[in-house]
Amino acid sequence: MTDRLRRVGRRLAVGVRRVLRVARWESARASGGVDRRTLAAGVALLVVAGGVVGVGVATGVAGLDVDGDIYRVGVDDGSPYADAIEDAPSLRPVPGGTASLGDAADAVVVTVVRPGAGDDGAIDSGEVEEVIVRASDTRKGEAAAASVREAVEAHNERLMRAEPNRTAAFPVTVTLRYVGRTTGIDDGATLGGSDGGSAGGSDGGSDGGGETGGDGGASGDGGGGSGAGTDASDPGSTDAGTGSSGDGGFAVPSIGGGAFGADTVGSPGSITPPFPFTSLLLAFVFLVPMNFLIQAYGSSILDERTNRRGEPLLVTPLSAAEIVAGKTLPYAAAAAVVTTLIALLVGGGALSVVAVAPIAAAFLGATFVGAMFARSFKELTFVTVGVSVLLTTYAFVPAVFTNVTPVALVSPLTLVVFDLQGEAVSAGEVLFSTAPMAVGAALLFGLGLGVYREEDMFSQKPVTRKFLDALAVRLSPVPAGGGILSRDRRRALGSVALLTACTIPFVFVAELLAVAVLFALPITVSIPVLLVTIAFIEEVAKSVGLYAGFERGVFERSDGDGGGTLRVALAVGLASGTGFFLAEKVTAVVQAVGLTDLFLGRAAFGDVTGLSGLPPVALAALFFAPLVLHVVTTGAAGVGASRGRTAYALALTAATLGHAAYNVGVVSLG
Amino acid sequence: MDSRLTIAGRELAGLRAEKTILLAIAIQLFIAAFSSFLVVGLVSMYDPGALDGAEIEVAAAGDAVEGLERAAAEVPGASVTPYADADAARRAFERNAADAVVVATHTERGRVSTVVTAPDATVQTTVIVVQLRELLRTYELNERDRRSAFLEESPLPLPERSDTSPYFSFTYTVLIPVLVFLPVFISGSLIVDSITEELDRGTMELLRVAPVTLPEIVDGKAAAAIGIAPGQALLWLLLLEANGTSVANVGPILALMTALTTLVVAVAVGVSAVAPDRRAAQLLYSVAVLVLFGGATAMAGGPANAVARLAIDSAGATTGVLVVAYAVISGAAYLGVRRVVAVEGFGR
Repeated sequence: MTDRLRRVGRRLAVGVRRVLRVARWESARASGGVDRRTLAAGVALLVVAGGVVGVGVATGVAGLDVDGDIYRVGVDDGSPYADAIEDAPSLRPVPGGTASLGDAADAVVVTVVRPGAGDDGAIDSGEVEEVIVRASDTRKGEAAAASVREAVEAHNERLMRAEPNRTAAFPVTVTLRYVGRTTGIDDGATLGGSDGGSAGGSDGGSDGGGETGGDGGASGDGGGGSGAGTDASDPGSTDAGTGSSGDGGFAVPSIGGGAFGADTVGSPGSITPPFPFTSLLLAFVFLVPMNFLIQAYGSSILDERTNRRGEPLLVTPLSAAEIVAGKTLPYAAAAAVVTTLIALLVGGGALSVVAVAPIAAAFLGATFVGAMFARSFKELTFVTVGVSVLLTTYAFVPAVFTNVTPVALVSPLTLVVFDLQGEAVSAGEVLFSTAPMAVGAALLFGLGLGVYREEDMFSQKPVTRKFLDALAVRLSPVPAGGGILSRDRRRALGSVALLTACTIPFVFVAELLAVAVLFALPITVSIPVLLVTIAFIEEVAKSVGLYAGFERGVFERSDGDGGGTLRVALAVGLASGTGFFLAEKVTAVVQAVGLTDLFLGRAAFGDVTGLSGLPPVALAALFFAPLVLHVVTTGAAGVGASRGRTAYALALTAATLGHAAYNVGVVSLG
Repeated sequence: MDSRLTIAGRELAGLRAEKTILLAIAIQLFIAAFSSFLVVGLVSMYDPGALDGAEIEVAAAGDAVEGLERAAAEVPGASVTPYADADAARRAFERNAADAVVVATHTERGRVSTVVTAPDATVQTTVIVVQLRELLRTYELNERDRRSAFLEESPLPLPERSDTSPYFSFTYTVLIPVLVFLPVFISGSLIVDSITEELDRGTMELLRVAPVTLPEIVDGKAAAAIGIAPGQALLWLLLLEANGTSVANVGPILALMTALTTLVVAVAVGVSAVAPDRRAAQLLYSVAVLVLFGGATAMAGGPANAVARLAIDSAGATTGVLVVAYAVISGAAYLGVRRVVAVEGFGR
């Protein structure tokens, strides 16, 4: 026993040494690729650009104004509204007298002056009786009119801030506090207990004369002087101003830390809806370096494949896994270092680093597969762009809904947002958030490793064919004769079941992505679309391995004797369906965080919910119904796969429809 | 001229064989779909009034409650029910009869102090807070109006509310520029790949012994990369048009983006000449393009803004001048890079 352990240990040590050697070689090569000239050129570019933008900002030329001057508004020079229009970045004033609506102007401001006033040309703001905005009868005109109203509001806000009489200028002060209904009194809020909130909680349930304003630190409102109120209102309203001028339509006002639970004091204009905008933005910073990292990593992998450069390494005693691990290690290390640096910079803790790790692994894994499949640098570029777009949206979009729904936890980035907000996260949530992505990354490496061999690395096969190769590598032939449960047969069917089980994380990801996309649609549309989409995803996952097996000749596709092929097809279909069923039960983890509370979640993971309170027989029937379903549909798809491409497509469609019908049944039952 | 066309044709054939261009379009479609989805999500959180009718019920108490009721009458989407005292209002909130509590009291200094209680950590919180803000701002306006005698400068009367969708300005200021400029970056990246790959595989040497000059090779590759960009952009604009978003000035937009593609391709050729290794070249190219576009967008009248103004049909004479200027700069940059490459070659 100890002998064996020692042997394993020695083998492990040799493996580690080999991996490290490859890693050292790889990092030496990588730093050689980016030579000093390139670095100097890059630094020079950044310096020049920084200088130009800096000068621009300093002189006031620069400013992110994508919506600058997009609406033309007719206004007379003498009108008091001219200033308001002038100051709004999205509005361009045109002389009111000459502007014809719809042609040279999208809206015209018409001021009605009190009788007897303002005959001397310039009109004072106090003399305006009312104002009418005539807009052209288009969507653009409506948008322009709305922008004019916003511009006037902003203008008034500026005027009022300059008023010496604070009481008249800001007659209303607001203290905003968040209270959980179930507990009655704010007890530091499960979602969003930033320091402001917990302070309010310990304060007790009184109406709270003199509470501390969330983050402003300005003391109290009740008896406090007007000065405090001004302090609190000023930064808030400036923030709102820059927000709306920056992004036009979808103003993002809550830059000043408006997390849940924080009490805010100020004028009504300074109220910010709770939204983790800053944390979200900082969380995004973690994703940016990944894009550069995978570019270098993808190049390095593809480099091995051009001009048969990787051949010498392949013929060494090193295994493919060791080579790949060694080549990946420097990049993984770089990702870890960069992530830690960013975490230190933006104030994240260890949780941020832990949460970003599976994202980095997924980026590298997907790029590895892409680089193994790509035929040229050009193809690799598109694969890399595709990888970063997909993974970035998968990580980022759910995180937007961090404080809104538990679905957000499907993205590890949500943990980063929580971490930056200083909130506690349970171990289960961390696991739920990171595990699927980590497993997915490992499986991607496994997929790519399947084609890390001579006949695939140095040949120019289409991506789809390589993909089928990578799957078929994991299968073994089903013997035609022999006992029904002979050893070979068991192994062959077991490999089919395992391959299908391995697709579960990707099915999981794809389904959650579908849920996320359809989240915003009305539920009458999203549910049917979702049911069919999910059925399709699962059917593809179950049968694509079988198709690969038949296409690559692992399973026999005999032309003459149909019976043998049919038997094999049904057998592998059975194995694949069973494998999927078993793996699917792992999704019970989903329940741990209450994802299934959501109606959409229930549609996606219908098999594991709504089971309590049924008689045991029905329970057993419900438990095994999915098994029957998977076996039947996959059997059908398997038979299709054994007959060729067209038959496979047809069988897949039929299986999808059958599966969708079953899903409809489950949802209506639940 | 013929040899250039041959090279351009070869480049395009390579793209077609690998179907990469389809992947590129699929990626763009995904980005477009997702950014729209994101905006729907964000907008529905920020501006619930923009989606239809979120109505909130406010339990109000305190001695200044009448003013609040008056304000509520003017604000669509918020209604105020007065309660006898703060406790009664809070109880209504507790039993879900109200979405929020506002206790408004006059202070001795002549202000109105409102203490607002909103539910914590529910999906509706954002909606409620946004509506409350609207309500309280209206209240503030009314109160300010009553005190206008004490103000040195009275605020300007507001024009009437008009119905508009926030997607409108998003479509023109973000979505269209993004869709128009994505092909630009892709084209540049293609050039970097194409040149570094030829160098890496040694096929550039083979091309050199053929009866073509280096500038001709560069011309051919550039022609292919620049040629496909306006096609992709046009596809997008047509798709938007079919979707009910009218895009004005399609010609000038395509001219502008073609000019920018030329500029980016020039940068890409230059980068490949400086760094013949793909890893370094792509890195340098990404940095260069980020800097170039980040800087240009930060400037007043940057390319993104120019496209937005053209598309929404608010372009003035300055925008036209801008397009011409971009074209001239791009042409000059390309010719300059081509000349340098002709002299220096793609050396290691």
